[in-house]
Amino acid sequence: MRIIIVGGGEIGFALSQTLSGEHEVFVVDHAADVAARFEALDVQFVHGSATSPEVLGQTGIRGADVLVACTGLDEVNIVACAIARQLGAPRAYCFVSREEFLELHDQQGLAQFGIDRVIWPEAELAADIERIIRAPGALDAESFAEGAIQLVEYRLDADATLSGRRVADLHLPHGSLIVAVRRGDSFFIPRGDSELSVGDRIVAMGTPEALREVMRLTTSVAEGARQRVTIIGGGDVGLRIAERLDGGDAADVTVIERDPDRGEMIAGRLRRSLVLNGDGTDLALLESEDIGRSDVLVSVIDNDERNLLASLLGRQLGVRRIITRVSKRANLRLFERVGIDVAISARAAAVASVLHQIQGGTTRLLALVEQGAGRILELDVPEGYAPRPLRELAPPLNSIVGAILRGREAIVPRGADRIEAGDRLIVFTTYEAADRVRNYFTSMKA
Amino acid sequence: MRLAVVIHITGTMVRLFAPALIAPAAVAALYREWRDLIGFLVAFLATAALGAVMRRAGGPGAGDVEQIRRIDGMAIVAATWLLIAHLGAIPFVWAGMGFVDALFEAMSGFTTTGATVLRDFTALGRGMFFWRALTQWLGGLGVIALFVAVLPRLAIAGRELFFAEAAGPTDEKLTPQLRQTAIALWRLYIGLTVAEVLALMAAGLSLFDAVCHAFTTLAAGGFSPHPLSIAGYNNAAVDWIVTVFMLAAGANFAVQYRALRGSRAAIAGDEELRAYLGVVGVAVVAIVVVLYRDGMGAAEALRHGAFQVVSIITTTGYASVDFQLWSDQAKMVLFLLMFIGGCAGSAAGGPKVVRHVLMARLTLRELRRTLHPRAVLPVKLGGRVVPEHTLRDVQVFVLFYLLTFAVGAAIVVTLGTDLMSGITASIACLGNIGPGFNAVGPMANFADLHPISKVVLTLEMWIGRLEVMTILVFLRLEPWRSARWSAV
Repeated sequence: MRIIIVGGGEIGFALSQTLSGEHEVFVVDHAADVAARFEALDVQFVHGSATSPEVLGQTGIRGADVLVACTGLDEVNIVACAIARQLGAPRAYCFVSREEFLELHDQQGLAQFGIDRVIWPEAELAADIERIIRAPGALDAESFAEGAIQLVEYRLDADATLSGRRVADLHLPHGSLIVAVRRGDSFFIPRGDSELSVGDRIVAMGTPEALREVMRLTTSVAEGARQRVTIIGGGDVGLRIAERLDGGDAADVTVIERDPDRGEMIAGRLRRSLVLNGDGTDLALLESEDIGRSDVLVSVIDNDERNLLASLLGRQLGVRRIITRVSKRANLRLFERVGIDVAISARAAAVASVLHQIQGGTTRLLALVEQGAGRILELDVPEGYAPRPLRELAPPLNSIVGAILRGREAIVPRGADRIEAGDRLIVFTTYEAADRVRNYFTSMKA
Repeated sequence: MRLAVVIHITGTMVRLFAPALIAPAAVAALYREWRDLIGFLVAFLATAALGAVMRRAGGPGAGDVEQIRRIDGMAIVAATWLLIAHLGAIPFVWAGMGFVDALFEAMSGFTTTGATVLRDFTALGRGMFFWRALTQWLGGLGVIALFVAVLPRLAIAGRELFFAEAAGPTDEKLTPQLRQTAIALWRLYIGLTVAEVLALMAAGLSLFDAVCHAFTTLAAGGFSPHPLSIAGYNNAAVDWIVTVFMLAAGANFAVQYRALRGSRAAIAGDEELRAYLGVVGVAVVAIVVVLYRDGMGAAEALRHGAFQVVSIITTTGYASVDFQLWSDQAKMVLFLLMFIGGCAGSAAGGPKVVRHVLMARLTLRELRRTLHPRAVLPVKLGGRVVPEHTLRDVQVFVLFYLLTFAVGAAIVVTLGTDLMSGITASIACLGNIGPGFNAVGPMANFADLHPISKVVLTLEMWIGRLEVMTILVFLRLEPWRSARWSAV
């Protein structure tokens, strides 16, 4: 595929990094100095303004499959998309930084520019966080095949039934699989003889029902109970999460916002949630409002340091699950190392959401797990493939077939389940093994 | 306060009001009541002359009347209502009533209270009864609203006046133009009136009775040409027709207008309307249970229970039966309803349902704030945040309303009525309801009260109709001290 990325910022770089191995990637930016960064990648850098048809012409726009506009300027992105579509690009994705453009697109206002999808990173982040909140006790949550298959990540509590046992002896419910384990800095796909221990973060895939059973085995969180959710920071992300949880049965929401006017606005938009005017890093406020009893604390201030402080205070007060927004890439690992359960960035959420839509062909990236250390791929089993049971396959090290999608059926396979031509496989793999997995399955002809 | 502007515009209002006196004169002529005819003509001439004089007197100093300040607007509205009540009393005086009684009757008319000092209904002619009904009908939607509708020149200046007179804390307009809004409301009002006239005639009333009752129903007034009020007809169909139209009179006309225009959301989405219907429903159930227990038949209990509940909550004050004879339990339900009133933007008086809704939410908010001192807790109505200044207005209103009620009740009781009569007389006049209990019950009248009590109650009607603040603001010295003849 030929992919044109307009804008060489963080998002453009992250996209190029992931896509460059496999696809023909052009990066357009009017600042010459960003070019150096892209030299390390196998991409073609074009210097110039993406709103100029001439510059876009240099990227071979006519033969391109998709254009992603992700400069910092919404208007530039929209114009670049419109021009690209006129010049013949079949698809155009547009990043925006304001909610109005997302709404405008939903009301068909941007459709006339030929823009297929508008991505507002804050909305992607809010959606990701909401999904994690809604899975009680989970540290990550993804959903595939229209929700038939889900992925959740849990930390093993001290009193979890699973800790201290070998994977082969777990007797997990039918329809669920443990696809990965993260222990400290190591991340691996467990084998039958791997032993789980307290504090491990396990990634499980399976049907929603089976995963509920896994949840009971791993955490002591009560299922179906209303969760107390505290959101620190009532910005775009905080408000969006609060709005989505507001009034539902899943959660009682408290939003802490520092700016009184913004607080008034938020309180006006929410029906049942409690809005507090104060600083999320104010220990006295957190204590007097009993924030320590929250099931989830979401810190989404637009400042990494204050997010970290608020989150650590929450941890001290005894909040069970802490989800923190991180802006600087470098901080992602650091945050988790100091005890934050989920560190998540708007950019990463947006990049992930775009990645799996861009890709066509026989393998598609569905999701990233643990900051990209783990990847979920979807592979088509080619026509003419002779059916054979899973146990006869010798897939590359560090990969595991999490689900077989056949028609409308979703099977979480065991060794005896067969793979047939026309199936779609959801494969979990580590970052390093991803290419081998692609090659293995695409070449597995009869 | 600029006196020239106030006098000029009040004069304009008074002069505009004069033609209203021609209608009862015509009715009096029709029934050959010559004495009353002369009374109406005298009143007409006096009104027209006073209006012209005031216009002339204020004219030169008025300057730019398009620029009415808030305090000027309040003064104009208060003065207009007070003057019109005095001028409207002229025909009663001419017919032989004492001045205090005549003013009480006229004020009771314009403010749609419906409390009467008439002891002997045979003493008055049909022209007078028509006049009583007409005063209520004009007062129901508001005389200023009428003038805004008919007088384009008032459109801009009328804004302050319109909202100083309109019932309730909201100032919504149906259309961008105030005049269009006023016209739309009057068309709806007239349409409902015609519908009720036809319905009542179909139920067997004469044209005269039907018109008089339609006028006083839709105004949520309560005057009846029949000495026994609606009970005098002893007709179930009439009771139900009146109940339905009273219910409409107590509901926000703007909401009804939108609903008629096909907006179903107007009705479903209006929290006040839902609360209003909810209160009516609960009260009807409560009173029917009590009446049934007291030995009334089920159908009768429902008919009279529903009628009386709607009559009191909409501050109409009709009686389909002498509820003075009901048990204290049933009367208690009615007594509580006296403190509620209809919806904002309706013809009803009282504190209005929306204020109760807001007060309830304010109370809940303060309870919640004790638990979460730092919480941001906006009060919402219909999903929208109510501005803090509106909430403050509502609190102040309720405070002054209750204060006025208490002072009035204290004076009336002090001057020699029993406690229940005094209390209900005060709330019935302040809330523009009409009848109370005991000595001022539905089949009794206010004639035997001490003259000072009558004056106090007359003032209460005026204060209640203009929603307290418009008048009480003049208890402060400031408006008077800053008063000057003209702007320059």
